Amino acid sequence: MTSFADDPCAKCEELLQPFLDRELNEAERAQAEAHLSLCSYCRKRYRFEAHLRRFVRQAVVEEMTPELKVRLSELRTPLL
Amino acid sequence: MSEATPETEARRLATEARDRVRFEEDALGLADQVYRVARHLVGSREEAEDLMQETYARAFRSWRSFRPGTNLRAWLLRILTNLNIDRGRRLQRTPGLEPLEEGDYFLYNRLEESTPDAADEERVVERLSQDSVVSALSAVPHDFRDVVVLVDIGDFSYADAAQILDIPIGTVMSRLHRGRRVLKQQLAQEAVGAA
Repeated sequence: MTSFADDPCAKCEELLQPFLDRELNEAERAQAEAHLSLCSYCRKRYRFEAHLRRFVRQAVVEEMTPELKVRLSELRTPLL
Repeated sequence: MSEATPETEARRLATEARDRVRFEEDALGLADQVYRVARHLVGSREEAEDLMQETYARAFRSWRSFRPGTNLRAWLLRILTNLNIDRGRRLQRTPGLEPLEEGDYFLYNRLEESTPDAADEERVVERLSQDSVVSALSAVPHDFRDVVVLVDIGDFSYADAAQILDIPIGTVMSRLHRGRRVLKQQLAQEAVGAA
Protein backbone atom coordinates (compact mmCIF):
# COMPACT_ATOMS: atom_id res chain seq x y z
CA MET A 1 0.00 0.00 0.00
CA THR A 2 1.37 3.36 -1.00
CA SER A 3 1.08 6.19 1.52
CA PHE A 4 0.59 9.91 0.98
CA ALA A 5 3.99 10.50 2.60
CA ASP A 6 5.82 8.15 0.17
CA ASP A 7 4.15 9.07 -3.10
CA PRO A 8 1.15 11.39 -2.79
CA CYS A 9 0.07 11.19 -6.46
CA ALA A 10 0.23 7.39 -6.52
CA LYS A 11 -1.81 7.29 -3.29
CA CYS A 12 -4.30 9.73 -4.78
CA GLU A 13 -4.66 7.53 -7.90
CA GLU A 14 -5.30 4.54 -5.62
CA LEU A 15 -8.04 6.38 -3.73
CA LEU A 16 -9.64 8.17 -6.66
CA GLN A 17 -12.20 5.54 -7.68
CA PRO A 18 -13.44 4.78 -4.14
CA PHE A 19 -13.47 8.57 -3.56
CA LEU A 20 -15.82 9.00 -6.54
CA ASP A 21 -17.83 6.03 -5.28
CA ARG A 22 -18.24 7.75 -1.87
CA GLU A 23 -16.72 4.67 -0.24
CA LEU A 24 -13.71 6.22 1.56
CA ASN A 25 -13.67 6.66 5.31
CA GLU A 26 -13.56 10.17 6.73
CA ALA A 27 -9.76 10.27 7.16
CA GLU A 28 -9.02 8.97 3.66
CA ARG A 29 -11.52 11.36 2.11
CA ALA A 30 -9.94 14.32 3.91
CA GLN A 31 -6.46 13.24 2.75
CA ALA A 32 -7.62 12.87 -0.86
CA GLU A 33 -9.37 16.25 -0.79
CA ALA A 34 -6.32 17.94 0.71
CA HIS A 35 -4.07 16.48 -1.97
CA LEU A 36 -6.47 17.35 -4.80
CA SER A 37 -6.63 20.95 -3.62
CA LEU A 38 -2.83 21.22 -3.95
CA CYS A 39 -2.01 19.09 -6.99
CA SER A 40 -3.13 20.17 -10.46
CA TYR A 41 -1.87 16.90 -12.03
CA CYS A 42 -4.25 14.84 -9.88
CA ARG A 43 -7.04 17.44 -10.01
CA LYS A 44 -7.14 17.27 -13.83
CA ARG A 45 -7.38 13.51 -13.68
CA TYR A 46 -10.02 13.63 -10.94
CA ARG A 47 -12.14 15.97 -13.07
CA PHE A 48 -11.72 13.71 -16.09
CA GLU A 49 -12.75 10.61 -14.10
CA ALA A 50 -15.80 12.42 -12.69
CA HIS A 51 -16.86 13.60 -16.19
CA LEU A 52 -16.23 10.13 -17.59
CA ARG A 53 -18.42 8.55 -14.91
CA ARG A 54 -21.31 10.91 -15.73
CA PHE A 55 -20.79 10.50 -19.46
CA VAL A 56 -20.87 6.69 -19.27
CA ARG A 57 -23.98 6.75 -17.09
CA GLN A 58 -25.83 9.03 -19.51
CA ALA A 59 -24.55 7.33 -22.67
CA VAL A 60 -25.89 3.91 -21.80
CA VAL A 61 -29.34 4.94 -20.58
CA GLU A 62 -31.99 3.01 -22.43
CA GLU A 63 -35.55 3.45 -21.26
CA MET A 64 -38.23 0.80 -21.00
CA THR A 65 -40.73 0.65 -23.81
CA PRO A 66 -44.33 1.64 -22.91
CA GLU A 67 -45.34 -1.92 -23.85
CA LEU A 68 -43.06 -3.40 -21.21
CA LYS A 69 -44.45 -1.00 -18.62
CA VAL A 70 -47.94 -2.21 -19.44
CA ARG A 71 -46.88 -5.85 -19.26
CA LEU A 72 -45.28 -5.32 -15.83
CA SER A 73 -48.40 -3.54 -14.55
CA GLU A 74 -50.50 -6.47 -15.72
CA LEU A 75 -48.51 -8.76 -13.43
CA ARG A 76 -50.05 -7.06 -10.39
CA THR A 77 -52.38 -9.12 -8.24
CA PRO A 78 -55.97 -8.43 -9.32
CA LEU A 79 -58.02 -6.60 -6.72
CA LEU A 80 -61.04 -8.59 -5.70
CA MET B 1 -53.83 -19.85 21.60
CA SER B 2 -56.81 -17.66 20.85
CA GLU B 3 -58.81 -18.57 17.80
CA ALA B 4 -59.21 -15.91 15.13
CA THR B 5 -62.73 -14.61 14.88
CA PRO B 6 -64.17 -13.96 11.44
CA GLU B 7 -63.74 -10.24 12.14
CA THR B 8 -60.04 -10.44 13.03
CA GLU B 9 -59.42 -12.73 10.07
CA ALA B 10 -61.16 -10.25 7.77
CA ARG B 11 -59.04 -7.44 9.21
CA ARG B 12 -55.86 -9.46 8.70
CA LEU B 13 -56.77 -10.17 5.08
CA ALA B 14 -57.59 -6.51 4.47
CA THR B 15 -54.25 -5.42 5.95
CA GLU B 16 -52.39 -7.99 3.88
CA ALA B 17 -54.16 -6.89 0.71
CA ARG B 18 -53.26 -3.28 1.43
CA ASP B 19 -49.60 -4.17 2.10
CA ARG B 20 -49.44 -6.20 -1.08
CA VAL B 21 -50.87 -3.39 -3.20
CA ARG B 22 -48.42 -0.95 -1.65
CA PHE B 23 -45.52 -3.33 -2.28
CA GLU B 24 -46.51 -3.83 -5.91
CA GLU B 25 -46.88 -0.08 -6.46
CA ASP B 26 -43.47 0.58 -4.89
CA ALA B 27 -41.83 -2.14 -6.99
CA LEU B 28 -43.43 -0.84 -10.20
CA GLY B 29 -42.30 2.66 -9.28
CA LEU B 30 -38.71 1.41 -9.39
CA ALA B 31 -39.08 -0.44 -12.70
CA ASP B 32 -37.39 2.28 -14.79
CA GLN B 33 -34.33 2.24 -12.56
CA VAL B 34 -34.22 -1.56 -12.43
CA TYR B 35 -34.50 -1.76 -16.21
CA ARG B 36 -31.61 0.66 -16.79
CA VAL B 37 -29.36 -1.72 -14.88
CA ALA B 38 -30.93 -4.91 -16.28
CA ARG B 39 -30.47 -3.74 -19.84
CA HIS B 40 -26.69 -3.84 -19.45
CA LEU B 41 -26.50 -7.09 -17.52
CA VAL B 42 -27.71 -8.93 -20.63
CA GLY B 43 -26.90 -8.70 -24.31
CA SER B 44 -30.16 -7.53 -25.87
CA ARG B 45 -33.29 -5.54 -25.20
CA GLU B 46 -35.42 -8.67 -25.69
CA GLU B 47 -33.49 -10.56 -23.01
CA ALA B 48 -33.75 -7.58 -20.65
CA GLU B 49 -37.51 -7.38 -21.20
CA ASP B 50 -37.98 -11.12 -20.55
CA LEU B 51 -35.85 -10.87 -17.46
CA MET B 52 -37.84 -7.89 -16.16
CA GLN B 53 -41.11 -9.77 -16.57
CA GLU B 54 -39.76 -12.88 -14.83
CA THR B 55 -38.33 -10.71 -12.06
CA TYR B 56 -41.55 -8.83 -11.40
CA ALA B 57 -43.63 -12.01 -11.59
CA ARG B 58 -41.37 -13.64 -9.01
CA ALA B 59 -41.21 -10.51 -6.84
CA PHE B 60 -45.01 -10.26 -6.74
CA ARG B 61 -45.28 -13.95 -5.82
CA SER B 62 -42.71 -13.74 -3.03
CA TRP B 63 -43.46 -10.23 -1.78
CA ARG B 64 -43.77 -11.48 1.81
CA SER B 65 -40.05 -12.25 1.90
CA PHE B 66 -39.17 -8.58 1.38
CA ARG B 67 -38.38 -6.87 4.66
CA PRO B 68 -39.99 -3.41 4.69
CA GLY B 69 -37.47 -0.67 5.34
CA THR B 70 -34.67 -2.42 3.44
CA ASN B 71 -33.55 -1.52 -0.09
CA LEU B 72 -36.31 -2.63 -2.46
CA ARG B 73 -34.33 -1.76 -5.61
CA ALA B 74 -31.45 -3.97 -4.42
CA TRP B 75 -33.93 -6.75 -3.53
CA LEU B 76 -35.42 -6.64 -7.04
CA LEU B 77 -31.98 -6.71 -8.65
CA ARG B 78 -30.98 -9.65 -6.47
CA ILE B 79 -33.94 -11.58 -7.92
CA LEU B 80 -33.04 -10.40 -11.41
CA THR B 81 -29.38 -11.42 -11.22
CA ASN B 82 -30.33 -14.84 -9.78
CA LEU B 83 -32.79 -15.39 -12.63
CA ASN B 84 -30.13 -14.29 -15.09
CA ILE B 85 -27.78 -16.93 -13.68
CA ASP B 86 -30.56 -19.54 -13.85
CA ARG B 87 -30.96 -18.75 -17.53
CA GLY B 88 -27.51 -20.21 -18.12
CA ARG B 89 -25.62 -16.96 -18.11
CA ARG B 90 -22.63 -18.65 -16.44
CA LEU B 91 -22.21 -21.03 -19.34
CA GLN B 92 -20.82 -18.16 -21.32
CA ARG B 93 -17.13 -17.51 -21.39
CA THR B 94 -15.44 -16.71 -18.12
CA PRO B 95 -13.27 -13.61 -17.94
CA GLY B 96 -9.64 -13.92 -18.93
CA LEU B 97 -7.23 -13.17 -16.16
CA GLU B 98 -4.31 -11.84 -18.13
CA PRO B 99 -2.65 -8.96 -16.32
CA LEU B 100 -3.66 -5.41 -17.18
CA GLU B 101 -0.57 -3.29 -17.06
CA GLU B 102 -2.24 0.05 -17.65
CA GLY B 103 -3.00 2.26 -14.67
CA ASP B 104 -6.22 4.06 -13.79
CA TYR B 105 -5.23 7.12 -15.81
CA PHE B 106 -4.66 5.15 -19.01
CA LEU B 107 -7.72 6.49 -20.85
CA TYR B 108 -7.09 10.08 -19.81
CA ASN B 109 -3.49 9.87 -20.98
CA ARG B 110 -4.45 8.36 -24.34
CA LEU B 111 -7.20 10.87 -25.02
CA GLU B 112 -5.13 13.81 -23.88
CA GLU B 113 -2.27 12.78 -26.17
CA SER B 114 -4.63 12.78 -29.12
CA THR B 115 -6.42 16.00 -28.07
CA PRO B 116 -3.52 18.33 -27.38
CA ASP B 117 -5.63 21.48 -27.79
CA ALA B 118 -8.39 20.40 -25.40
CA ALA B 119 -9.02 23.23 -22.99
CA ASP B 120 -10.45 21.14 -20.18
CA GLU B 121 -11.20 17.63 -19.06
CA GLU B 122 -14.81 17.81 -20.25
CA ARG B 123 -13.59 18.34 -23.81
CA VAL B 124 -11.32 15.33 -23.47
CA VAL B 125 -14.32 13.16 -22.47
CA GLU B 126 -16.26 14.52 -25.46
CA ARG B 127 -13.93 12.65 -27.78
CA LEU B 128 -15.91 9.57 -26.82
CA SER B 129 -19.19 8.86 -28.59
CA GLN B 130 -22.31 7.45 -27.00
CA ASP B 131 -22.14 4.39 -29.27
CA SER B 132 -18.53 3.74 -28.31
CA VAL B 133 -19.49 3.65 -24.63
CA VAL B 134 -22.33 1.18 -25.24
CA SER B 135 -20.12 -1.11 -27.30
CA ALA B 136 -17.16 -0.82 -24.89
CA LEU B 137 -19.38 -1.74 -21.94
CA SER B 138 -20.79 -4.77 -23.73
CA ALA B 139 -17.23 -5.96 -24.42
CA VAL B 140 -16.37 -6.10 -20.69
CA PRO B 141 -16.56 -9.75 -19.49
CA HIS B 142 -19.77 -10.56 -17.59
CA ASP B 143 -18.47 -10.97 -14.07
CA PHE B 144 -16.69 -7.63 -14.19
CA ARG B 145 -19.46 -5.90 -16.10
CA ASP B 146 -22.12 -6.89 -13.53
CA VAL B 147 -20.26 -4.97 -10.85
CA VAL B 148 -19.49 -1.98 -13.09
CA VAL B 149 -23.15 -1.78 -14.14
CA LEU B 150 -24.45 -1.99 -10.56
CA VAL B 151 -22.04 0.60 -9.15
CA ASP B 152 -21.49 2.99 -12.06
CA ILE B 153 -24.92 2.87 -13.68
CA GLY B 154 -27.12 1.66 -10.84
CA ASP B 155 -25.33 3.84 -8.27
CA PHE B 156 -25.31 1.01 -5.74
CA SER B 157 -22.82 0.96 -2.86
CA TYR B 158 -20.18 -1.76 -2.75
CA ALA B 159 -22.15 -3.40 0.08
CA ASP B 160 -25.39 -3.44 -1.94
CA ALA B 161 -23.60 -4.81 -5.02
CA ALA B 162 -22.07 -7.56 -2.86
CA GLN B 163 -25.50 -8.49 -1.55
CA ILE B 164 -27.15 -8.42 -4.98
CA LEU B 165 -24.49 -10.64 -6.54
CA ASP B 166 -23.96 -12.74 -3.40
CA ILE B 167 -20.20 -12.22 -3.43
CA PRO B 168 -17.83 -10.79 -0.79
CA ILE B 169 -17.30 -7.02 -0.77
CA GLY B 170 -13.60 -7.54 -1.51
CA THR B 171 -14.59 -9.35 -4.72
CA VAL B 172 -16.84 -6.41 -5.65
CA MET B 173 -13.89 -4.07 -5.23
CA SER B 174 -11.43 -6.18 -7.21
CA ARG B 175 -13.92 -6.84 -10.04
CA LEU B 176 -14.86 -3.18 -10.15
CA HIS B 177 -11.23 -2.18 -10.35
CA ARG B 178 -10.53 -4.61 -13.15
CA GLY B 179 -13.83 -4.03 -14.95
CA ARG B 180 -13.26 -0.28 -15.09
CA ARG B 181 -9.77 -0.79 -16.48
CA VAL B 182 -11.07 -3.15 -19.17
CA LEU B 183 -13.79 -0.60 -19.98
CA LYS B 184 -11.18 2.14 -20.34
CA GLN B 185 -9.03 -0.01 -22.59
CA GLN B 186 -12.06 -0.69 -24.78
CA LEU B 187 -12.93 3.01 -24.85
CA ALA B 188 -9.38 3.93 -25.79
CA GLN B 189 -9.47 1.43 -28.64
CA GLU B 190 -12.78 2.81 -29.86
CA ALA B 191 -11.69 6.43 -29.55
CA VAL B 192 -8.07 6.51 -30.65
CA GLY B 193 -7.35 2.96 -31.81
CA ALA B 194 -4.96 2.38 -28.92
CA ALA B 195 -3.57 -1.14 -28.69
